[in-house]
Amino acid sequence: MKRPFVERPRWSCALGGALSAAGNIPRTVPVLHAGPGCAGNFAWTASGSSALQVTGQCLALSVPSSNLQESEVVFGGLDRLREEILESFEIMDGDLYFVLTGCLPEVIGDDAAQLAEELSTRERPVLHASTPGFLGDSYLGYGEVLRALAEKGVRRRRTRKDLANVWGVPPGLDPFWRGNLEGIRELLGLLGLEANVIFGPGAGADAVRKAGAAAVNVIVSGLYGTQAAGAFKALHGIPFVEAPLPYGAAASERFLKIVGRAFRLSSSKVRRAVEAAGRAHYAALEPLIDVLTDMETQRHAAIIGDANHAPALAAFVQEELGWSPELTVIVNGLEEEGKQALRAHWARTGTPAPENLVYASDASAILEAARAVWADSDRPYRDPKRPAFVAGSSLDRALAAELGAAHLSVSYPVSNRAILTRGYTGFSGGLALAEDLVSACIAGR
Amino acid sequence: MSYLDSKIPPLREHRHPETSLAHGSEYGGRRSRGECPVMSRADRSFTQGSICPLLPALGIMTSLPDTVVLLHGSVGCGTCAAGNNVNVRAGRAQRGGAPSDAVWVSTSLGEMNVINGGDAKLREAIVEADRRYSPKVILAVSGCLPGVIGDDIDAAAEAVKGQVRARILPVHCEGFKSRFMATAYDVIYHAVGRGLMPAPESAPPRDPRAVNVMNVGSMGLADERELSRILESVGLKANFFPVFSDPDSFPRAASAALSVSVCPTHDDYFLGHLEEKYGVPRVIRHMPIGIGNTSSWLADVGEALGLGAEARAAAAREEEALREALSGYLPLFAGKRAFISAGEYRSLATASLLKELGFKVCGIRSFHFDSFAETELGKLSGDGEAFVFNVANVQPFEEANLLRRLRPDLFLGHMHGNSTASRLGIPCQVIYNTGYGYLGYRGAWDLARRLARKLSRPGLYRRLGRFGRLPYRESWYSQEPFSRIRAGEGEA
Repeated sequence: MKRPFVERPRWSCALGGALSAAGNIPRTVPVLHAGPGCAGNFAWTASGSSALQVTGQCLALSVPSSNLQESEVVFGGLDRLREEILESFEIMDGDLYFVLTGCLPEVIGDDAAQLAEELSTRERPVLHASTPGFLGDSYLGYGEVLRALAEKGVRRRRTRKDLANVWGVPPGLDPFWRGNLEGIRELLGLLGLEANVIFGPGAGADAVRKAGAAAVNVIVSGLYGTQAAGAFKALHGIPFVEAPLPYGAAASERFLKIVGRAFRLSSSKVRRAVEAAGRAHYAALEPLIDVLTDMETQRHAAIIGDANHAPALAAFVQEELGWSPELTVIVNGLEEEGKQALRAHWARTGTPAPENLVYASDASAILEAARAVWADSDRPYRDPKRPAFVAGSSLDRALAAELGAAHLSVSYPVSNRAILTRGYTGFSGGLALAEDLVSACIAGR
Repeated sequence: MSYLDSKIPPLREHRHPETSLAHGSEYGGRRSRGECPVMSRADRSFTQGSICPLLPALGIMTSLPDTVVLLHGSVGCGTCAAGNNVNVRAGRAQRGGAPSDAVWVSTSLGEMNVINGGDAKLREAIVEADRRYSPKVILAVSGCLPGVIGDDIDAAAEAVKGQVRARILPVHCEGFKSRFMATAYDVIYHAVGRGLMPAPESAPPRDPRAVNVMNVGSMGLADERELSRILESVGLKANFFPVFSDPDSFPRAASAALSVSVCPTHDDYFLGHLEEKYGVPRVIRHMPIGIGNTSSWLADVGEALGLGAEARAAAAREEEALREALSGYLPLFAGKRAFISAGEYRSLATASLLKELGFKVCGIRSFHFDSFAETELGKLSGDGEAFVFNVANVQPFEEANLLRRLRPDLFLGHMHGNSTASRLGIPCQVIYNTGYGYLGYRGAWDLARRLARKLSRPGLYRRLGRFGRLPYRESWYSQEPFSRIRAGEGEA
């Protein structure tokens, strides 16, 4: 049944996703063509959702915005936008200006794309992405920014055989995005490859220019960024490969093998890298090995997150900690096509398909699904599926309380953790995730 | 005819046409004393993102218990409720409940709704929200999109009224319709006045000791307790509305002996309504931030209720105790230059407090300016010390330019408004964050205590100032800070 509303949405709109993407490309100035409150809305959204990451270089209330009023809605907003862009050139320090259009100009029919093109020069490019909230969620906005980069922002350069663009980790929507991108960089480094991550402080000022020299685009998602990767291939001839979001050692192994094949590296080289990293990883885990057994840290888990995080977390707790993921909830409202794409992605990347998988985002629907798993479980001689653990968002604390479960905020929205560099990708990210999950189990110790 | 008789609340630009968003000048010096320096329709040729009436309105709406906030718009419109929810959880816990989440839902309008209209979806959503949550109230809130595509939230509410048990309150928050976020307050009180208040004949009996106090969204429990304490010192009790108030409790507002404003620009719409319709007299003049301001606020209440002598005596006692307590901090504060940026009234009243604490105020930024604040601004010109007065709906680029010129020792900013000054290395104190004390005598003490802590441990800001960056071109700082402000149509 189509529900008439979304309860406490676990994403914002296309414009919000586009702003946190474009605003996190180094030396890039987003220019919103939107209502006056959109920027503030995204800032306050971030404060309750993105693990306290609100400000950013050109984010929050620093972002240029045409702040459309009734007169522009009636008479058109292009003059206001032109003025705003020209003034942004004067005032805001950047190498790339990224016009993002919200609901109002898209309904009234402002042709911002044409204006961006008119004002764009080789030295001072102006890109445009059409991102009205009524077209979709923040993931769509992230994809539209990548697509605009592919279509207008990147020029093909001589291929560097060791260079990979990395996509599929949407800034902000993945509260651990910086650390997750760095973990992927670390993995690529094990194969002697260089990651061009495009977003975030680690991307480097020339990330967009460099993107045209990549040999392969590595997409760590079955959904996010895949369309733009297609555009990249069609326009620039850069192929792409889908890899798992590599949470922990087992997923990292799969990641390395897939990427190694895509870069045509010798399988013995990849195998050696995997072996060495695996040995180092489990040596690092050794100090906890006693406790993992003695304290019976195995948990019956409810895993809740987006199409990237939930399967990655479910695979991690199962493969790395020996937990039982009793229920996995993917919160994105996907049509059948999207669900199929995900299943194909898991099959292609060797990711274990979640066992008891539910697509739901309303906390009340998730609660229902959890009650079906944990119902009556306390009656004698039943398997109570306890101790339970909820690895999800901050909105899932009520569920954890009902189940008497420990809880860790590991997926959007995260309001009760401050995150800067922490990530769960790669071998070292797997150690961090193990630390966080086990720490949550013993919080009362 | 009262404003409340109309379905749609008036905009601030109509009700207070003098309201301004853009102004910058020196004020308070000997030459400019007494002039109110504001152009009403001025705007800017360059603007940064800001907030619309929906945002402050959501801060109030999400706090109401047993209430569903039904956002009618695109899915992004109002996702900031996730940020408000942090306050809601803390506020409920402080008030003795469990830290539970607010309930907000979005009709998440799509492209087909833009073409065919979203009214049907809204009607279904109201019915489903009633079924799923059994709330006392459903707030049907329109964002920008329904405003452009022509949805009628009042008609939708009317159409399904018979099918639901909850009261449905339409709330008009189309962001592009008003330039002033202060419209948010009128929008909320309009909905409350029309949907939660009784007919005058069925209002509860008059309570001669009760005083209505509108708790602005930024007031936490600490501030409420302080104002209660002050009113109790002259035998009165506070009725706090609307933040965290049970929807069934609003009729009590009609039975109070008096309404007193905490923030005139916030309160005047509803307090006017309470006086007009229920005969509850109102006092709208001072914000109880600052020592003198708090005493004036209390004296006004006392005068209005025949307790003038008691109020003056209580104020004198409080002032004496407070000034004695503060004396230890004064040497640290003496002569330090402070810059303030916040909501209209709050920024000005806080400036008065800082002067009382011995600071020099070198700049004030108000998010808007209207006739309510003329009194408060006037209080600051008495000593002949000039300061920069800037009216801006945030606009950090102007602030960065000003701060680089003025180099204050201390910055006091609204929540989410301190990052510019922080990155310039200026110690920052948040002056609008729910849960901390700011109001009354205790609030003055508490802010002084925190300012002393801030000024004596500026480590974070020193490091940020050395390494932090702002997103502006170096050339911007050599231009006039107010060069992007231009007069409105028909103004010189």
